[in-house]
Amino acid sequence: MSASGRIFDLREMTVHDGPGIRCTVFFKGCPLSCAWCHNPEGISFEPELMVRAKGCRNCGRCREPCGHPDCAELGRSLGRDRGLGEGRCLHHCPQGLVSRAGEDVTAEALAARMLELGDMLEGGGYTISGGEPLAQGEFLFEFVERLRPSHVAVETSGFAAPEIFREAMRRVDLVILDLKHMDSAAHLAGTGRPNETILRNLDELVASGAEFWVRVPLIPGYNDGAVNLAATARRLEPAAGRVRVELLSYNRLAGAKYGMLGREYRPFFDEAAPAEADLSPFRERGIAAELKR
Amino acid sequence: MTERVRRLYDLIVAKEHRRYRHDALAPMAEDFARLKAPPLLRMARRTAAVLQAETAVILPGERISFLRTVPKLPELFAPGEWEEIRRGHFIHELGYVCNISPDYASTIALGLGARRAEVEARLRRAEAAADAEGRLFLESAIAEIDALLDLVDRYRDEALRQGRTDLAETLERVPRLGARTFLEALQAFRILHFALWCEGEYHNTVGRFDQYMWPYLEADLASGRLDEAGALELVEEFFLSFNRDSDLYPGVQQGDNGQSLVLGGMRADGSEGFNLLSRLCLAASKELKLIDPKINLRVGSATPTEVYRLGTELTAEGLGFPQYSNDDVVIPGLVDLGYATRDARDYVVAACWEFIIPGKGMDIPNIAALSFPEVLLRCARRDLRVARDLQVAPTFEAFFASVKEELKVECSAIAGGIRNLWMIPAPFMSLLMDGRVEAARDISLGATYNNFGFHGTGLSTCVDSLAAIRKYVFDEKSLGAAELLEALDRDFEGRDELLARLRYEAPKLGNGESEVDDLARQVLDAFAEGVAGLRNERGGVIRAGTGSAMFYLWHARGLGATPDGRRSGEWFGANYSPSIFARLKGPLSIIKSFTAPDLGRVINGGPLTMEFHSSLFDGEESQNKVAELVKLFVRRGGHQLQLNAVNREQLLDAQRNPEAHRSLIVRVWGWSAYFVELDREYQDHIIARQEYLV
Repeated sequence: MSASGRIFDLREMTVHDGPGIRCTVFFKGCPLSCAWCHNPEGISFEPELMVRAKGCRNCGRCREPCGHPDCAELGRSLGRDRGLGEGRCLHHCPQGLVSRAGEDVTAEALAARMLELGDMLEGGGYTISGGEPLAQGEFLFEFVERLRPSHVAVETSGFAAPEIFREAMRRVDLVILDLKHMDSAAHLAGTGRPNETILRNLDELVASGAEFWVRVPLIPGYNDGAVNLAATARRLEPAAGRVRVELLSYNRLAGAKYGMLGREYRPFFDEAAPAEADLSPFRERGIAAELKR
Repeated sequence: MTERVRRLYDLIVAKEHRRYRHDALAPMAEDFARLKAPPLLRMARRTAAVLQAETAVILPGERISFLRTVPKLPELFAPGEWEEIRRGHFIHELGYVCNISPDYASTIALGLGARRAEVEARLRRAEAAADAEGRLFLESAIAEIDALLDLVDRYRDEALRQGRTDLAETLERVPRLGARTFLEALQAFRILHFALWCEGEYHNTVGRFDQYMWPYLEADLASGRLDEAGALELVEEFFLSFNRDSDLYPGVQQGDNGQSLVLGGMRADGSEGFNLLSRLCLAASKELKLIDPKINLRVGSATPTEVYRLGTELTAEGLGFPQYSNDDVVIPGLVDLGYATRDARDYVVAACWEFIIPGKGMDIPNIAALSFPEVLLRCARRDLRVARDLQVAPTFEAFFASVKEELKVECSAIAGGIRNLWMIPAPFMSLLMDGRVEAARDISLGATYNNFGFHGTGLSTCVDSLAAIRKYVFDEKSLGAAELLEALDRDFEGRDELLARLRYEAPKLGNGESEVDDLARQVLDAFAEGVAGLRNERGGVIRAGTGSAMFYLWHARGLGATPDGRRSGEWFGANYSPSIFARLKGPLSIIKSFTAPDLGRVINGGPLTMEFHSSLFDGEESQNKVAELVKLFVRRGGHQLQLNAVNREQLLDAQRNPEAHRSLIVRVWGWSAYFVELDREYQDHIIARQEYLV
């Protein structure tokens, strides 16, 4: 029996998610709920209805009773409390604007699907992102094994039980750790969780001797200051030469998908503020670091 | 860009050079009609008149001169005469010789003086043989050469008047005598190219510029006459010259002028052609960011990765250059069609993407277009309706077999409609095509290769329709044939759910699904088989292709709804591309699908076009990955590829016409989206960001 998991997207030619030509699968569900999350449909572990507003002609056909079991299920579970009315029909929109985020799939089936492109991933491989892939450990590990011998990367928040994190380090070729804040109280405020677990896992990663990537999404006025970046650099210092740091400029498109989920994007920071990040704390310590637009 | 070239660039971009244009010449057609002048004579007289009316204008600082000042050519035929000609003949487009690749190199090397002597010697033989047609042709060529050389002399005199002795020296030498230096060769090219447009031919392509110009540059570099920077400056000035008169050139849209230039690729002797001049051309195009000349890059399994890198850097500029073609597929495909191996290795692209042979091809690769969806729909109406009436369900295989058969019938029908082809004579163009002087016959009558090419439009619409019919009508039986036909007849009125299912849930070409890709392979095979064995009246073959030109709009306009959920009149994808409303998994799957067919069999040309957000090209690491993607396409047997970094104008257009840009993908930080589905605010943001990106 192959383990079953839940995903919300598959993307090809993801040039930023590891070396070479890659495909990325996004696991659904995340223990964190970062205020700036640009994949909000990746937060909930439950399937969700997504309605794209752009292109909608308000014909109302998606609101008519349809009798499809999959529409009814989504409507019952989510439609009402998300402001999407009694739910929507997934199969009626002339513009194709109504969809479901969240597909249940076995590790075996998912691997078979992705391996169809295996001979096209020049110098690359597969990346597992999310959501938080480590939140579906059993599914993740079986899936990784089924992708072998391809190169596999995992992009994680680091928020996972140490044994799961350790297992992930052992099984994948590259860990990409998204590091939000070094201060636990600030981390709690921005993501809904403290960071002790994450830092413990990070320390293990640093001590492991493996090569890895760290990504810091720069949130204006929150984590882009000198203090936090210096603290990040200090923590990574023992891994200099093995770690590659990417500071990701805040992108004002982060909120694009909230409306589709019937939610409102409410950043606590000034989106328009210039995010000017200083790479010197990293470079002083011999850590390869770059700012990404 | 040097200061000197920058000034010329500014002048041309500001269109200041257009102020030298003067009024049109007096009409000539009525006089010609009264005299019942033969077409060759009319052509010679008109071209001479145009060249005589041209004013010598030298722009400040330019080292490569010649500027059109007579904007419009007088008509050759009175309206009644032209109608008469049309009634009796098949007239391709405007009737002029077009869309071929002249051999400039021979005349640049020999000089027009020597070519004139050659024509004159041949004329004496024609006179001796009482070959009246040959005489007229050769006399016309001489008259045009003389008129052109006279204009060159006036340019030289103007140069002297302005104290530009350097330019005067160049013009004293070329094109009358053979070019000795890179600069002289460029000036000679400019004058020959200029003369072709004055004769009325259009889509006059540039060909393998980096091959035939390389010996001149190589010699200059070796002798120290030029260094690389000096060479780049000349290439840039030369490239600017393509943008001076181009608004006067005929085309379906502004920019559709056929000034295609081909770089790299296998040489006739089998060696690799990419050289320093190829590199300088890529650099010049990247720096100038102008739409002409249109850069094509020939690649193959032997091409070094660095060439793909340089190509990707140019793509990142958002011009839609370069267009790649794959020697590994194109050359054998052309050989299979009967082209000699050395000629096939020398292939170039015509105005858009049709593969032709410089100097030797009078092919008309865009003479007609076959609409795959129209044939499909015809079969569906005929065969599926019959099946319903008889209450007999044929198999999908039987239905598909009848579609393939009908495709072949259609090929024969189209070919049968092309009879009595006639083109306006082109003596000057003939001078630049192999063997025309020796044959004493005009190029409009044919050359070494006289093949025709058919575009194939709406492949994805046809394949997606077949896939939907197979799945829903035959396999699942969830949709009756009659029900489908009725929905099509009513343009899906009242059938929203069916429409949504066909559009967004049905299988689509471009998702890397082998069962669907195999349908595409079979449809293209049927197209290739449909034209195989057909001969045109000039003894040429018919070439099947994957291009669409403007037919992706024209064919689609008149066509009713199709079983893939396309509504009546909705556009097809352009060229060899997925359907415009298909939701696809991504570029890798698209490449997988679109390299599945046997593309060497449909080698008339027609690229897979993929659009990417400019941010995909940010940084060396990402660009390397895009270069790898192109290599992947080549390695998998793709024939032709065009990548676009999507630019601001395109996004603005997408806001105004979202339906036309449904498959436009934008990268938005960690995820990708269909641009038209983003809220306005986010679209505006991407557009604002474009100003920094491009």
